[in-house]
Amino acid sequence: QESHAVGKRPHNPTDLVAEGDLLLTLSIFYPVIFQKHKDHKPNQTVLVLGSQKLTELRDSISCVSDLQIGGEFSSQPDQAPEHISKDLYKSAFFYFEGIFYNDKRYPECRDLSRTIIEWSESHDRGYGNLQSVKMEDYTFNDLSLKIGFPYLFCHQGNCEHIIIITDIRLVHHDDCLDRNLYPLLIKKHWLCTRKCFVCKMYTARWVTNKDSLAPEDPCFFCDVCFRMLHYDAEGNKLGEFLAYPYVDPGIFN
Amino acid sequence: VSSVPGLQADCEELLGAFQQADTVRFERFAELWRERRFHTIFYGRIRALERNKVTKKTLELAQQYFLPPYTFQIRVGALYLLYGLYSTQLCQPKQKIRIALKDWPEIQRFQQDLINSQHYDAAYIFRTLRLARAFHFTAMPKLLNYRTKKKIPENEFKEEFKDPSNRVNTLITNDVLEELMNIHDHYQKMKCVISADKSQPDKALSLIKDDFVVTLKDITLEHQEWQKNRMKLFLNAKETDEKSNRKEEGTLLESEGSERANALARIKYRSYSAVVEASKSRRHRQVKLESSESGTNCGKSPSRSKKNSRRPQPARRRDSLE
Repeated sequence: QESHAVGKRPHNPTDLVAEGDLLLTLSIFYPVIFQKHKDHKPNQTVLVLGSQKLTELRDSISCVSDLQIGGEFSSQPDQAPEHISKDLYKSAFFYFEGIFYNDKRYPECRDLSRTIIEWSESHDRGYGNLQSVKMEDYTFNDLSLKIGFPYLFCHQGNCEHIIIITDIRLVHHDDCLDRNLYPLLIKKHWLCTRKCFVCKMYTARWVTNKDSLAPEDPCFFCDVCFRMLHYDAEGNKLGEFLAYPYVDPGIFN
Repeated sequence: VSSVPGLQADCEELLGAFQQADTVRFERFAELWRERRFHTIFYGRIRALERNKVTKKTLELAQQYFLPPYTFQIRVGALYLLYGLYSTQLCQPKQKIRIALKDWPEIQRFQQDLINSQHYDAAYIFRTLRLARAFHFTAMPKLLNYRTKKKIPENEFKEEFKDPSNRVNTLITNDVLEELMNIHDHYQKMKCVISADKSQPDKALSLIKDDFVVTLKDITLEHQEWQKNRMKLFLNAKETDEKSNRKEEGTLLESEGSERANALARIKYRSYSAVVEASKSRRHRQVKLESSESGTNCGKSPSRSKKNSRRPQPARRRDSLE
């Protein structure tokens, strides 16, 4: 699993992982858990150094919800969407041991945990003192953590990932010692990609609703089939439909 | 994923033989290891992923014998076993031996004991492992995985390997006895000071038995002796028990297998023994009763059991956490 980075050394000696640094193994789970995942929940396994900031981990988490493109584009399919959700909604937090670590690096970042803290303080719910601090001010070494205990990562307002720390140990001579490669992804779940309804070959890039030309609602199309079915040679819209760009969760495979 | 089949049995057999040999010399252990060609325990795993997983489990199992509550001899045996397994493993880079933070002081104490008792070969082996960077220093002993198991098998280790759990001894240690003695003396002196006769305490102040510390010590020793004897008896009984059990087991299995064969034979006999005698005109073609006991009957059962064992394993998940 870790074979691709085992034993790697950096070009620049300042990028060498220090002796005595800690290596944490984290499991970050996929946000939506289906019945088929009952026995084995899909997740990615990441190695992170104790001396790394929480923001470094946040940036390395790849979730399809970050790539969502909002908006209905049936009338202007060629218009390149301006922003993906990752650019628009930058707020995120980690929750470890009663403290919310909010990403405050950008002016657009909001404190997503405020709602939770207010809710907990509004009545005596028995949650003790919940605090909110800045994610970028803390490294993993600063945290008190329990191994095997579920923690939370929340981004895009309501996309929640459970995080579990499965191992903590001292860095070893045989590990990858190039700081730049951390957080290091060593395992990733594999997801089935949804294919175009027409050709069944390419990954779906569009989804339509209330589509008079489609047999089901919603219906998924690859770019080519989508255009061929819904637009004429001049690019005029044919029939009635609503079209949204679709990002498949399997995009990270 | 369940434990590696046969691994625990093999390791316990080797450690048991080492315990029997009643020595802690590495030479002896190495002999036992070579006799058994123990390095072949890693053979048969072709894919790297499986090899890594099995090696990890092997080291994890062996490592457990290295820590208390196992006897000194078993722990030295475990050290040698870990050395052997670590060196002969086929993984590249080598799988490491996990040592949890909480166990490290105990291991250091163990190493010091080895040096103090002049078991230099064991101390050298340990040092070699350290220099080879064979250890991962971890927060927790077991690496977590998140498969929902139907049942987590509880490892039942052999009683003979363990130091008999002596709670009385852990409570009444030498330190405790010494301290009690000191307090007792001090108490006596105090009583003298406040008494009329400075050389001995007043009769009115004699509220406890004067020799109670000595008595306590005697009782503790007695208990230890008793426990040792009990252990010996238990082991003896187990041995004779095992021997007779094995015989019993043997005949039991035998009878189970042969019972079926017997039942079948009986049915066949009943159906075939009624042989119709051919009419006189066909005397030369008398029906002969053939015994089929050694034939198809035995042929059937083995192949049937083979079929069962070849039942396809549940599909291995592609992305296991291990």
